[in-house]
Formats: sequence, C-alpha cells, structure tokens
Amino acid sequence: MTLTIFAIIILFLAVMEAAIPYLVKRTVVFGVSIPEEHTKAPELRDYKKRYALIVFAFSMVIFISFLLWGLLASPAEEQLVLVSAAIPIAMILLSLACYVYFHAKTTQLKRQNRWGENLKQVKVTDLSVRSQDEMLPWYMYLFPMIITLGVIGYTVLQYPNLPEQIPTHWGPNGLPDAFTAKNPISVISAPLILLVMQVMFLGINETTKRSGIKLSATSTEASRIRQLTLRKYTSWFMFLISLLLTMLFSFLQLSTIHEGLFGEGTMLIAPFIFLLVIFGGAIVYAVKVGRAGEKIGTEPLGGIGDVDEDQHWKGGLFYFNKNDPSIFVEKRFGVGWTLNLANPKGYFIVLGPLAFILLFTYFI
Amino acid sequence: MIIQIEPQSDIPIYMQLTNQIIEGIARGSLCQGDSLPSVRVFAADLGVNMHTVNKSYHELEKRGIIRIVPKSGAVIQSPVEIEKKSPHYERIQQEMKTVIAEAIVLGFKSEQIDELVASVTKELKGKRKLK
Repeated sequence: MTLTIFAIIILFLAVMEAAIPYLVKRTVVFGVSIPEEHTKAPELRDYKKRYALIVFAFSMVIFISFLLWGLLASPAEEQLVLVSAAIPIAMILLSLACYVYFHAKTTQLKRQNRWGENLKQVKVTDLSVRSQDEMLPWYMYLFPMIITLGVIGYTVLQYPNLPEQIPTHWGPNGLPDAFTAKNPISVISAPLILLVMQVMFLGINETTKRSGIKLSATSTEASRIRQLTLRKYTSWFMFLISLLLTMLFSFLQLSTIHEGLFGEGTMLIAPFIFLLVIFGGAIVYAVKVGRAGEKIGTEPLGGIGDVDEDQHWKGGLFYFNKNDPSIFVEKRFGVGWTLNLANPKGYFIVLGPLAFILLFTYFI
Repeated sequence: MIIQIEPQSDIPIYMQLTNQIIEGIARGSLCQGDSLPSVRVFAADLGVNMHTVNKSYHELEKRGIIRIVPKSGAVIQSPVEIEKKSPHYERIQQEMKTVIAEAIVLGFKSEQIDELVASVTKELKGKRKLK
C-alpha cells in the first residue's frame, strides 16, 4: 500500500516536472522573457526538448529502481517511508539543476542575439478586464469553515465519550499509531489546524484577487485568457483542496470520537482517494492553465514589446518588485503563483499560518 | 478600454495615464458615471507604483474630470456648461495658446490650424457615434 502511494506520487512528479517547459507561457522560456517573434526559435525548442527528456529519463531511472527495490528487497516500513520522502526531494533538485543550466543557456542566447533590444517597451492593461474575472467570491471559503466549527462543537459535546488517548498519526494500515493524552485542547487540535489552513486559503484567494491581471502588449487576447483561466482555476482548485482537507479531517475526527465507526477498509482507502483526487485536480489545473490562450495568434504589432522584467526575477524564479503592489504573480517556471518577495505582506500571509501550525503542533 | 504606457518615455507615467483616460472619455470608451478601477487594482494590473496611479487620479480630479468618492472610487463626471470665465475655460485656453503659438512659429497657416482642430475634434467625436 505504502509502495503504491509513493510510486504514484513519484510518477506524478516525474511527468509534471518534465512537462513544465510546455505548460508555461510561451513568452517566458526557462525564466527568461523572450519577445513574441522569437518564441519559435529552433534553439529554444531544442532546449525545451532536452530539458524534458533529461528530467523524464532520470526520473524514470529513479522510479524503476525505487519500484524494484520496494518489491524485491521488501524494506521495512520505516525505511520505505524515509526513502520515499527523499526521492521527490532528489527529483526536484535534479530538475532544478537542469533548469539552472538551461536558464543560463537561454539568457546567453537572448543576449547574443540582442532579442528585444530594438523594441519600444510598453505596459498595457484593459480597464474592463476586472469585470471578466471569475475567481470564487470570499464567502464560498466560509462553507468549509462552518463544517470545521461544527466538528469542533460536536467534539466538545462528545468530550466525555472520547478515549483517553487521542490519535495524532495514522499508519499506512489505516490504524492510529501515535497518540497524545486527552485534554480539552488536544481533542480539538486537528480541527483547529484545519481552521487555520482554511483561513490561509481564504487569505490567499483574496490577495490573489487583488493582485494584478498582467496583460501582454503583443498578445493581449492570449494573455488575458491565460490570466483569467489561471485565476479562475486557482481559486477552484484551492477551494477543492480546502473541501477535501475538511472531509479528511472530519472523517478522522469522527473515527476518533466513535471508535470503529468506519471499517478498516474505509480507513485504508479514504486517504488514498484524497490523494488521487488532489493529483487529478492538479493535472486538470496544470493542463487547463497551460493550454489557455495558446491557440490564439499574436497581433502583428511592429516595433513594440513588453517591458523586460527579467531584472526583477532573480534567477528567473524569485520575483522582487517594489513598485508592483501585487502580492502574488504568475510563476515563470511552473504553473501557478509565486510571491512578490519585495512585499512584506506576502510573507505574512504564507508564513504566518504555517508558523502557527508548526508552533501549535510542537507545543501541544 | 486598453491603456498602454511607455515607462521609458520622457512623459511621466502619471501624465500618460491621465492623457489616455481623458482620451478614452472623449472617444466614448469610458462613459459618465462609470467608475475607474481602484488605485490598488489599477497599479497591480499595470505593474506600476500605487503613487503613480494616485497622482493621475488627483490630476483628473483637479481638472474636474473625475470625482473621488470614498468607497465607490473614482467616478467620471458628466460634462457641464463651460462659461468663459470658468477656470476650466481659462486653463484650456492657456494650453491651446501654447500649442498654437508653437504651430505659428513653425509656420502653420491660420487655415491649417483651424483644419487641424476640426479634424482632431471630428476624429475623437466621430468614433463616439459608432459606439
């Protein structure tokens, strides 16, 4: 069971990492902005292909060795978990190394060919684009919170019936394998953590909504579709995660309150379904966003190009722009968002809840 | 309506914004009673400093083109009867004087200036009827 779960995670990661160059905006290649008319350059096509092949081949080698090791050597459960946790990290580092190499190559190519140096740099926006924004309204995120509050309320009512040992961790066999002593805080710590996460999702949704809808001067329509799709699906996907987490936490909480309410089979399969739905959602999200607006051609506009923002992107990965009030901006390499690191509010929204959860679990 | 600015131009960004919004209203792309986006949203979408947008909005308010209402934002005003002694009349007169003076110095004839004023007015207002 553990092997299957981790095998799925690793395979998923391998495919996603290899596909990234084809899912990002066509005007940003390995974190370097490329003027529209050069995006089809054969060198760039070659870089993307090489990146995808290298990452995929190496990932497959790792994946197959992992499977063989897991099946033939039948390692101890703990050992398996440890190795399974290390492999995704190794794979991310591998693709990062590949990225760094091709980022340097692309930067060099752009400089050598003086791409974009003769273009008049402009910024555009559409005053009506905001009315087309389809992100979920904030109150949708209250719905899972109400469920959480209900679960907390129910736990308080059922306090006398709760076992003396509160499970804090469930093993791969679906049975709890770590416990903490019962007290008024420990019994509701799990739904409290859930509530903090739900508040964080709400916060991210609202700050994303207030962040800029960035249009491209040379492909206004395509960039509009991509940005609106990214925003819409991000808020849906985040809502889905919030909902699934609520279901999983409520399920575990109920199984603690009423021991044996769910059969062993359900306990085993529930986290598995949770994982599959999240991965399925992530794939749909990446493909929907990755292909949004790609079919739309470019408007032939002589002599102008988008403002070259490479100077604000350290290594093509980290965005620092003091003048941009956006807290979240579209990632350059990958599908999704990244923080404007020059804006202190972003650190608070992302790190605040995480710090709270870590401190809470550490001290309780 | 598309707003396009050139950060490297000699004209400051806030002036570019002001001019384009005025032109948008003249052409009818923006209507009286419409609200402009909030300063934060506009600045985020364009990726410029909020002070820049704020400065542009205050410039527009000073010229009587928009009114900044707390909560509802920047609302485009309806045109009023312009009397000869109103400050707006004097300001436009002054600005036109600068431009016409330059045209005269460069050798424009009176008819050419009249023709230019008429054609620019027609260009701005002509598209309006189509909308």
